[in-house]
Amino acid sequence: MTTPGRAPRAGERTVRYLLLLLVLLLTIGPFLWQLSTSLKGPDDDIWSRTPSFLPDAPTLANYAQVADTIPVWTYAANSLVVAGIAVAGNAVGATLAGFALARLRFRGARLAFGLFAATLVLPGEVTIVSQYVTVRSLGLTDTLLGVALPGAIGMLNVLLMYTAFRAVPPELDAAALVDGANAWQRLVHVGLPNVRGMLSVVVIFTFIAAWDDFLWPLIVLDDPGRYTLTVGLQYLDGTFSANPRLIAAGTMIAFLPVVAVFAALQRFFFKGVEEGAIKG
Amino acid sequence: MRHIRRSRPVRWTAAVLAALTLAGCGLGGAEDSGTPGPVGTGGEVKGKVSLQTWALKPKFTAYVEGVIAGFEKKHPGVEVEWLDQPGEGYSEKVLGQAAGGTLPDVVNLPPDFALPLVKQNLLLDIGKSDPAAAADYVKGGLDAYRFPGHDGTYGYPWYLNTDVNYWNGELLTRFGLDPKKPPTTLDELVRAARTVKEKSGGRTYLMSRKPNLVDLANAGVPVMSADGRTFTFNTPEAAAVLDTYRAAFAEGLLPEDVLTETYAGNTKLFASGTAAWTTAGANYITSLAVDNPTLAPKVVSSPAMGTPPLYVQGLSVPKNTRNPAAALALARWVTNAENQAAFARQTSIFPSTTASASDPFFGKSDGSNAGDAKVTAFRSLASARVLEPVQANDAVKTLINQQIALAVSGQTSSKEALDTAVARANQLLKD
Repeated sequence: MTTPGRAPRAGERTVRYLLLLLVLLLTIGPFLWQLSTSLKGPDDDIWSRTPSFLPDAPTLANYAQVADTIPVWTYAANSLVVAGIAVAGNAVGATLAGFALARLRFRGARLAFGLFAATLVLPGEVTIVSQYVTVRSLGLTDTLLGVALPGAIGMLNVLLMYTAFRAVPPELDAAALVDGANAWQRLVHVGLPNVRGMLSVVVIFTFIAAWDDFLWPLIVLDDPGRYTLTVGLQYLDGTFSANPRLIAAGTMIAFLPVVAVFAALQRFFFKGVEEGAIKG
Repeated sequence: MRHIRRSRPVRWTAAVLAALTLAGCGLGGAEDSGTPGPVGTGGEVKGKVSLQTWALKPKFTAYVEGVIAGFEKKHPGVEVEWLDQPGEGYSEKVLGQAAGGTLPDVVNLPPDFALPLVKQNLLLDIGKSDPAAAADYVKGGLDAYRFPGHDGTYGYPWYLNTDVNYWNGELLTRFGLDPKKPPTTLDELVRAARTVKEKSGGRTYLMSRKPNLVDLANAGVPVMSADGRTFTFNTPEAAAVLDTYRAAFAEGLLPEDVLTETYAGNTKLFASGTAAWTTAGANYITSLAVDNPTLAPKVVSSPAMGTPPLYVQGLSVPKNTRNPAAALALARWVTNAENQAAFARQTSIFPSTTASASDPFFGKSDGSNAGDAKVTAFRSLASARVLEPVQANDAVKTLINQQIALAVSGQTSSKEALDTAVARANQLLKD
């Protein structure tokens, strides 16, 4: 057994790397498969006994064809609107609610917190029809606002922000209070600078959830011109006309913005994850 | 390949269904402004009417737009709004629309999707609203929209399809079998599978799926009672079919993972060359030519074993439509002989109109293997029947599959598995 702190022996290190490599392959294998399928030309076989990752005749034509087949940019723009509303709603709403629950004293705070937590127990399947009926009675069916609204403040996000605000040392808050700061000033000057990490976690998760959601936008939207990307991409998988290469290319197109958002926020993201892990 | 598409998340359907049952009466009813009584076709065909199809864009965009343009030309003053829904999640979409009272005026519903709506009394009985229609469509198509316990016909049959056998000619030849004389019965199939296993050293399979209700129906087993209230497939004949498969499985004639719910599926295994036989719709070779261009030319087709299954798509009209006259006229127009014949020339599907049954187009192959498969399928249609009852929804099929898997793997006896499956399926029907 190696004592902690000493460099592991070469053999052990090899085993570690092999295991890491194995997990890496398991994680990104399906993704690489999609990527390779999206680059395959019309003469390459898709299904085979020994999968070949390298296309015989690599081509980008599938990507161009996706754009020809469906209005992919319109769909992407719709998805962006929905994700934008959801992200803004959660960034503002979950922050305010989290701060209020963590730092403000008011009558019914515990009850409010309990109710928030209780809704986490309900799976989405149970509420989807009543949600649809609600959205319909608001006159928001077939609108992007109707798609975004139910997810605009996620209970889990409120809980995450609550934990993050709780982790800020109460003395800081008390000091600000002594200096005569009101609730808004304490939120803006004391709270927010300390929860940026968690905020980015909320933003990334909300963005991904809104961007990837399929069933809810499908149920709310009727006009194909208003479809979000995940719903619209389904047209590539039509009756009697499903080309796996195009489907893979569409998936790749849908995947890129998620990478972009993550890349932009990953610096804060890992900080946020650690905040939650250590102090929460 | 899917002729009738199925959505994967079974629990969704169940949950939405449950919610629909709750919401159906109160909320659905709130929408109709004075329920239109017995609807006749007498009203004038004009105004707005919406048509919902299932995953026909983008391949058939031009075709559907042409059909709609023809309708609008025939009835000046009518305006059709076409909604094409994506393939995935269609069942949930329809149930959501039904619960919210927002079903379009004309909806493409396969019979198994129509049944829950019929149970909620949401669809128009076209037999009553449009009695003349019955003469125009083949009986099998109309029968698919008649449900035991519910009087009436709840949809205009649209396009039909059936299954044919597809064989990998190259593999059969390599293992000493004649692709021109493929197996025609289960026993012959098992024997051929044994040859393939021996000659390939166990690397290639012929059979690659476990038996299902269709196989039982084909063995002469009555799957359901005539009133559609109870399943009845726990007969000695059914047990014999399972026994045959159990022996074949023990012998290694089927891939190990066919017993799981999530195995790749026999068409995928066929496409990858792991299995040399699959069943699929008439258009399978055409789609295979896109997926695996090198395999498609080697595929040989033959008629389905036993009674060919009949798959039906149709157009239904919800009861709360604001424009019943135009909705019925539109559904009738889209499914008329002329428009269906034109549709069938775009892909390998078959019209449900009696007028098209004698259309020489379908009996003639262009000489390609895809053309041969189309002709085989068309000839099979005459004897095709709906083999899987619509009452067997996803939840029922899942539990039947589980019991069949237990029997084939040898963990329970075939009789015991069938008895359990029937008992539980009947319980589900009652709930």
